[in-house]
Parts: sequence; C-alpha cells; structure tokens
Amino acid sequence: MRLINLRGVCLSLLVCSGMALGNNDDFEIETLAEGLDHPWGITFISPSEMLVTELSGNLRRVSNGRLNPEPVAGVPTVLFAGQAGLSEVILDPSFADNNRIYLSFSAPDKDQPKLNQLYVIQARLEGNELVDQKTIFRSDPPRKTAAHYGARLAFLADGTLLITSGDGFNYREQAQALDNHFGKILRINSDGSIPKDNPFIGRPNALPEIWSYGHRNPQGLVIADDGTVYAHEHGPQGGDELNLVLPGKNYGWPAITYGVDYSGAVISPFTEQPGMEQPLKYWDPSIAPSGMSLYRGEMFPQWQGNLFISALVPGDIRRIEMQDKRAINEQILFTEFGRIRDIAAAPDGSLILATDGAKGKLIRVSAKK
Amino acid sequence: MIIKQIPAFLISLVIATFLLVTHTTATNLIWLHSINMPVDFNLVLSTMATDLIGMNSKGAFPAVALISIVLLLAFITARFISTRTAIKKTTLYAMAGGTALFAIVALMPLAFYNLDLIAGARTITGRVYLVLAGALAGYYFGNHLQKGDSNALN
Repeated sequence: MRLINLRGVCLSLLVCSGMALGNNDDFEIETLAEGLDHPWGITFISPSEMLVTELSGNLRRVSNGRLNPEPVAGVPTVLFAGQAGLSEVILDPSFADNNRIYLSFSAPDKDQPKLNQLYVIQARLEGNELVDQKTIFRSDPPRKTAAHYGARLAFLADGTLLITSGDGFNYREQAQALDNHFGKILRINSDGSIPKDNPFIGRPNALPEIWSYGHRNPQGLVIADDGTVYAHEHGPQGGDELNLVLPGKNYGWPAITYGVDYSGAVISPFTEQPGMEQPLKYWDPSIAPSGMSLYRGEMFPQWQGNLFISALVPGDIRRIEMQDKRAINEQILFTEFGRIRDIAAAPDGSLILATDGAKGKLIRVSAKK
Repeated sequence: MIIKQIPAFLISLVIATFLLVTHTTATNLIWLHSINMPVDFNLVLSTMATDLIGMNSKGAFPAVALISIVLLLAFITARFISTRTAIKKTTLYAMAGGTALFAIVALMPLAFYNLDLIAGARTITGRVYLVLAGALAGYYFGNHLQKGDSNALN
C-alpha cells in the first residue's frame, strides 16, 4: 500500500514537473526577427536588448523585439566559408561599468592568408560601434580547413574566460597533444594573459592556456552557479557528447568515441580508456548540438537548473534535466522550426531560439498567459 | 565484348576498394597504437572487417560506389586513348586507375572546404599510397585486356 502511494506521489511530481510542459499549445511563440544571415550567437545587453552575431560577419542589435537595420560598426572582417565566420558574442562580467564585449570569429592568418585561425577579441560597445578592440586570443597553428572551430566563450566566476577550440576536422589527432589549440578548452584572463593556476602550467611541451583537451567541436558551453562547467560537442556520425568539464582532464577524442567517421570507417574501436573522461550523455544518432543555455528564469520555474541544447539535426531543442551533476532526463521540444543554431534565456525567463541558415529567425518562446 | 570485361572490372574495383579501406583502418589503428591504446592483432582484424562493411554501407558515400564511378570514367577514357596510341595497356590503365584515385583524394576536399573525408588521405604519404592502389587496380585491368588481345591474336 505504501509502495502504491509512493508511486502515486512520484507520478504526480512528474506531471507537475517540467515533463508536463511540452505541447506547443503550452507556449506563446512569437517571431522576433527574420532575415538574419546565419545567426550564431545571442547575448542580452539589457532586459529589452540583445546582440546577435551573423556568421557572415555582422553583429546585429534587437531592441524591444525589433531588429536594428544597421549592423554594429567596427566588427573585424571575418572569413565566411563553411563553418567559418563571426561566431560567439558575450558580455564582460562588468559590462554595466565598462561596456566591454567579447567576440570569437575566424579570419585568415596574417602571414599565410590561405590558412585561417580562430580569434577572440575584446572591444567596447559605444553606441552602435565597437571601439578599443584588442585581440586576446589567436588559435595556433593555423588551419587550412573551414570547419570545427568550437568558438564558444564563457566567463568563470573568477573572471577568467573559457574558449572552446575545435579540432579543425583534418587535425583530429592533435586533440590528444598539448602543444596546440586543436580540440581544446582554453582558459585565459580577459586581457589575454594566462592565469597562473591553469592545469598545464609548467608541463614541458604543453601550452599553458589549455584547460581541458580531447574535444572534437565543442559548441555549447555554460557555467552553473556552483561553478560546474558543462560543454557539449559535435561527434562524428553518432557520438555527440554532453560533458562535465574539469581542468586538466582528457575527454578522449579521437582515441575514444561513440561515433564513426563520415566515411563509415571506425575512428576508434574504443569507447573508454583509463585517464579519459566519459560523457554525462551521448547521442547516437547525432543531434548536432549547436548551442546551450542553463535555465535560471522565473517564467518556467519547473525548468530551473535544466540545460537547454539547440540541435541542428533534425532540428529541435533538448531539455536536459540535471540532478547531482548528472543528466537524468531528456525532453525534445520545438521540432517545427528546423535547424536551431542557438538558444538563450532572456532576462524575463522566455527562451530565444535562433534558427539556422541564410534566412535565420529569432523566435521567442514564452509561457501562455 | 564489354560484358567480357565486367569480371575484370569488378576485380579491379575490389582491389582498389580493399586497399583504400584497409589503408584507412591501418592509419587509424597505427595512430591509436602510437598513443598507447591497446591495439592487438584481433582488434586489427575485427576493425578491418567492420570498416569493409561500414565504409561500403554506413558512410555518407559508399566507398565502392564512389570508386566504381571514377574507375569506370578513367577506364573509358583509357580505352579511348588506347585506340589512338600505342601505349602499353598495362601502363595506360595503371595510369588511369591512379588518376581515378587521385581524383577522389584531390577533388573531394575542394568540394568540402578542404576537408579530407577519407582519414587515410590526410597526409602526402597516404595520398601517394591511394594513388598507387588505384594504379594497381588499373594495372590488373590493363593486364587482363592485354591477355585478351594476345589470345585474340592466337
């Protein structure tokens, strides 16, 4: 009898929890902006205003739900090809005081223009213009491919900046070596200097800015309130991963993987190995995870602490319920918009989705009134 | 006449496909071994078998289909040239087979932003090996044709 009651309570809790929301009739869905050219990154600079990057090289402002027709001036020229272009935009933790933002993008190498690199710059947003630009990171070595940049940014609570750097596709084996930036998560100070407590400082042949390694193409990065770092990365065919990222750890790519190559070949017959971390969760077949947000809003209180992952294939949002730093449940939402490039939680608690492609849209999802 | 050449074409296709697939397997496993992953003989055999199936059925493009198209085009071109020149058939078809595989490893990256979708083709050594694999397949086909010509003379 007690067992039956317990089941009843559990069922009620489940219904009252986030699982109860899922039908689109539960939401107000509104298109905020259309005609964005490959929108990639979103950040809010005030409760009513956001910045959106377009992979083709423009930084756009959306104010009070309207897209400013004039892009922000002063954005550096980017390489726009394949997956290359203007990628992430985030705010300085002291943005309210210093108006500083950070952009990641790919651009040709200055000495070898046939090759390109991932750059991160710092700049001040003054009116509708970027001023006082400073390059604080440039990936090394340069690459010939226009793919797998990673390019997500996030600030840790101590004010240091994490940068995801992908394996460049052709250079996947380099993700296991510590003398380069392929397949790494890097940690630098906001001025580009190296924090003194990085995990590989002092190790011979290791770059001191490396924070973790063995990544493929990490395009989702969030920091929880307790400092936990979550990152997701594109796998090959199968093997997309959600990881809890710790300093100094090896996440295995391509020595261990749950995916196979696009050619159908085995990349590695191994899925685990001592000294290499296992993902919290992996997807096979792939969902092509493209962006991620940790929900802290008030609009959907039952979703607080959940991770929201935008996915390109087949195109939806994955709500991941977290408990004790474990992914315990997954719900698929918003399947009708096609490929979704990024997701952000607005200050009012609504969700903003950016659809992928040359005619990208910004879609706001709010609770039904 | 054409029907008579089909078995020889299929065998040359098998040669090229087998060499390409096993080269990819070897490339990946040699690297894994170099970083001290536990690669043993059984694993080599099982991975090779998995790749022979996977690369011909699970990839974005079946290797055997891709190779059959380029070899067919190359051999048709070689046949056309052979009617107008006196180049030895083994040499001509070996060059055609090598060119066919070169087309795969050289042209595919141009279509995909310099991405080398075949892992074994990411180094110059790997590319040379694959071109030689195509040449071997072409040599076999040319040799078969040459024998046929000799038999016809007898």
